[in-house]
Order: sequence, then structure tokens, then C-alpha cells
Amino acid sequence: MPRNLKIAFGILGVAVLVGLISLRGLHRRIEHLGDIQSSDEQLRRDLLAPQISTSTDVKVKAAIFWAAGPDHTAPVEIEMALSADPVQRAKQVLLELIKDPPTPEQRTLPANTALASLYILPDGTAIADFSDALSSEMPSGILSEGMAVDSIARTLESNVNTLHRLKILIHGQEVETLAGHVDLTGFFDLNPPTSPPVAGASPAAQTTTATGSSANPRR
Amino acid sequence: MAGAGLLVAQEPTQQPTQPQTLPSQPAVSPQNPDATQPPPPTHLGPVIVLDPAHGGTDTGARGAGGAVEKDVVLAFARTARGELERQGLRVVMTRTDDSNPSYDDRAAMANAYRNAIFITLHVSSTGTFSTARVYYYHFPNPPAQSPAASSTASALTTWEDAQRSYADPSHRLADAIQVQLAQRFAGSPALSTSVAIRELRSVAEPAIAIEISSVSVSDPNSLAQLAAPLAVSIARGVTVFQPPATLPAAAPVPVPGAK
Repeated sequence: MPRNLKIAFGILGVAVLVGLISLRGLHRRIEHLGDIQSSDEQLRRDLLAPQISTSTDVKVKAAIFWAAGPDHTAPVEIEMALSADPVQRAKQVLLELIKDPPTPEQRTLPANTALASLYILPDGTAIADFSDALSSEMPSGILSEGMAVDSIARTLESNVNTLHRLKILIHGQEVETLAGHVDLTGFFDLNPPTSPPVAGASPAAQTTTATGSSANPRR
Repeated sequence: MAGAGLLVAQEPTQQPTQPQTLPSQPAVSPQNPDATQPPPPTHLGPVIVLDPAHGGTDTGARGAGGAVEKDVVLAFARTARGELERQGLRVVMTRTDDSNPSYDDRAAMANAYRNAIFITLHVSSTGTFSTARVYYYHFPNPPAQSPAASSTASALTTWEDAQRSYADPSHRLADAIQVQLAQRFAGSPALSTSVAIRELRSVAEPAIAIEISSVSVSDPNSLAQLAAPLAVSIARGVTVFQPPATLPAAAPVPVPGAK
């Protein structure tokens, strides 16, 4: 065999060897990336999954507030098994609100929104922590943000009557606004008392609000 | 955050940046001393603080056809300014270019005046095209206060709560302008809506937000056609809110000695 051919075969062999090693590393990296993506996706699926069931679940008609026109929400009755535990019950109805609007036009929260956690304090304050998608994928505007908060607040107060106010967090943090407009630094009233309104409250405001008084924060 | 900010006087005591001017005498032409020209605008009513929302890197809503909220609201504000000044009202704008003042900077501009009205302008990304909604910040339940705190609170309020004392006038102003908008923008609600809008929270004056629907139009120029009816609605709504008795008279001021 000519010397030049031997050298050429030698170089080719080394190149194949280097290529195989590189390919293996690349393959490992792709697998790793795939693992990260699938675990994120799994986390999202777990968070969005409706399988929150408890031993106290009872089938009832839950009122879920979706969009009922361009500027207001209205309850839709959904038969579903709801827990007697207020925390689980609140999670169940919020997941339904995110997951299953009757039509795409009735959606008030971005489809990728996840409810990361929900706590209820002894004074009846619900703290709902949503994923970034609630803020980052929200259509910009007072109208859309107002309807989003309204649908969350009214869905909670209609199905968990021990709640008195709501605090919305994004990714575990208090944020100034939902998506540039609606103020999230305060609390939102839930199940307001039926006693006469306190001084300073404007009764007319209650009747002229399209999104309802629950979308107003209290500090 | 809430309750942790500066204190502002509940009754505005700061001097306006520029004093309101008294009605001036009509100008007399040097060529014809007897001829009177239309009087220059006089400024007796509230200062209208027009706030084109967003700006700079904060573009606001973006439409598929290329409409960008920050630019559309700036054009709306310029048109509204002209209309309000024709009514003899003094107008200031929180921005006249592509800057982006903070929420607090915008509020501070309004709070610097003794008698002002704050109007922030927005364009949504949703809703039926050519409908308009007016919003005000409503505090349904005043927070419980300790007796010690209440004496301080009677004179001062926190920066974060500055709008609380103005909830009722803001509601009346919002309804006055919403009625006007409903006449010019078919399909708009008849009355205003209360939503907690961050931009209004620290304004210690009657304050409202107007949002027009929407940037989601194929031809961005169609939004420009909404500027004039919006401006007229604002001007008439402000006049209804602040009765003409306190606004400058439209008729020329008599000149001493003139026939």
C-alpha cells in the first residue's frame, strides 16, 4: 500500500474516532435537554391536571366565571366533584377556570397559566400564586386584566364561602401590576359582608361596575 | 409597597407649577384700535393633566396591523389637548415624546396642582373596535385604623392611598365622560367601571382612565379617526363635571370704553 494512502486512512480513522466521541457528547447533551424539557412539561401538566381529589369530594354545581361578552364575566355552572377542604376546593375551581372554558372566546386567563400554590390564612385571606404566564401571556389592557382578576375573584368567592379577600402573587412574588395596568399590590374583596356599606363606599359604584366590586383591591 | 410610601397632604396644599391666569383683555389691533380680536384662551378651571400611557421601551398593546399603543395614545392626547385648550382649559401632558415616566412621576405631575383632573389614555388589545370605557379607582372598604393612627390620617394619607379621598369625584368625572363617549362610540357602556388601575392610585385629584378598543385593527390609520370624537367627549365631560360657572366665559370680555 502506498505511503500516502496509509496516511490518508490514518487521518480518516482519527477523524471518525473524534466524530464518534463528539457525537456521543452531543447525544448526551440532547438527552439532558430533553429531560429538562420533559420535566418542565410534566410539572406543567401536573399543575394543570384536574386530578385534585380528596376523600370529601362531593359532586356539586360549581359556578365558574368566564367571559360572557367583550367586557364582563358571568357564571357557568359546571358539575364537578369539590372537596370540603377550602384549600383543595379553591384549587379545584381555579384549575377548572384555567383549563376548561366552554369556548376559546370565553377564556379569561392565558392557557399556559399554572396555579403554583394556594394558601388560606386563618382570617380568610386566600393567597393564590400563579406562574409567570398569567402576567407575560396576558393580552395587554385594562379590559382584559380587569376581567382576568374578576374571573379569579368571583370564581373563588362563589365556591368557597369562607374566603374574605384574595392576594395574587406571580411566581411567588408580589408584583406591582398584572400586565401593566391592574394593581396587584393590594387585596381583592371576596364575599363582601351583607351589612350596610361602610361610610365612604359609594353604593352607586356597586351598581355601575361591569366587572364587579370584587376586582377592587383593599389594603 | 402598600403603606410604606411617602405621606402626601390629603388636602392639596402645594402651589401649582404655574398659577392659573385671570381672564385677559382682548387684544386691540394697532392698525385698527377699535377692532377687537377674539380673546386669547383664559385659564380659570381645573388644570387637565393628560397622560398618554406607556412610552419608551414600554410599548403597551401591539396590533397585528402595526398599531402600537404608546404612539396611538400620544396622538390621542395631542388632539384632546387642542380641543380642551379651545374650551379655555389649561392642559399639561405627562409626556410629549417617546419617554416613559414612572407611575409615581405621572401622579406627582398631577399632585403638583391645587385643582387638577388626571386623565390617562389607553388603547386595549381586546374588545370591540371603536368602543370606549372609562375607569376609576374605587376603594370599597377603608382599612381599619387604630385611634392613634386615625388622628394622623385625618390630615395625611399615604402616597399609595392618595386616590382614596377622591373616589367619589373620580367616579362622577368618569360617568360624565362615559356618557359623552357612549354617544360617539356605539356599543360603549353607558356608565363607568371601577377597576384598580395602578396609574390612578397615587393621584390626589379626580383621576380616571379611558381605554379605547383596540389596536387589533388591520389598518392602524382607522384608529386615528377616533381621536376627534374622543377629544370632544373628554372636553364635554370635563365641562359637565366642572360646571361652566367656574370655567372661562366663551364671550369676549368687554373692553372699557368700547361700544
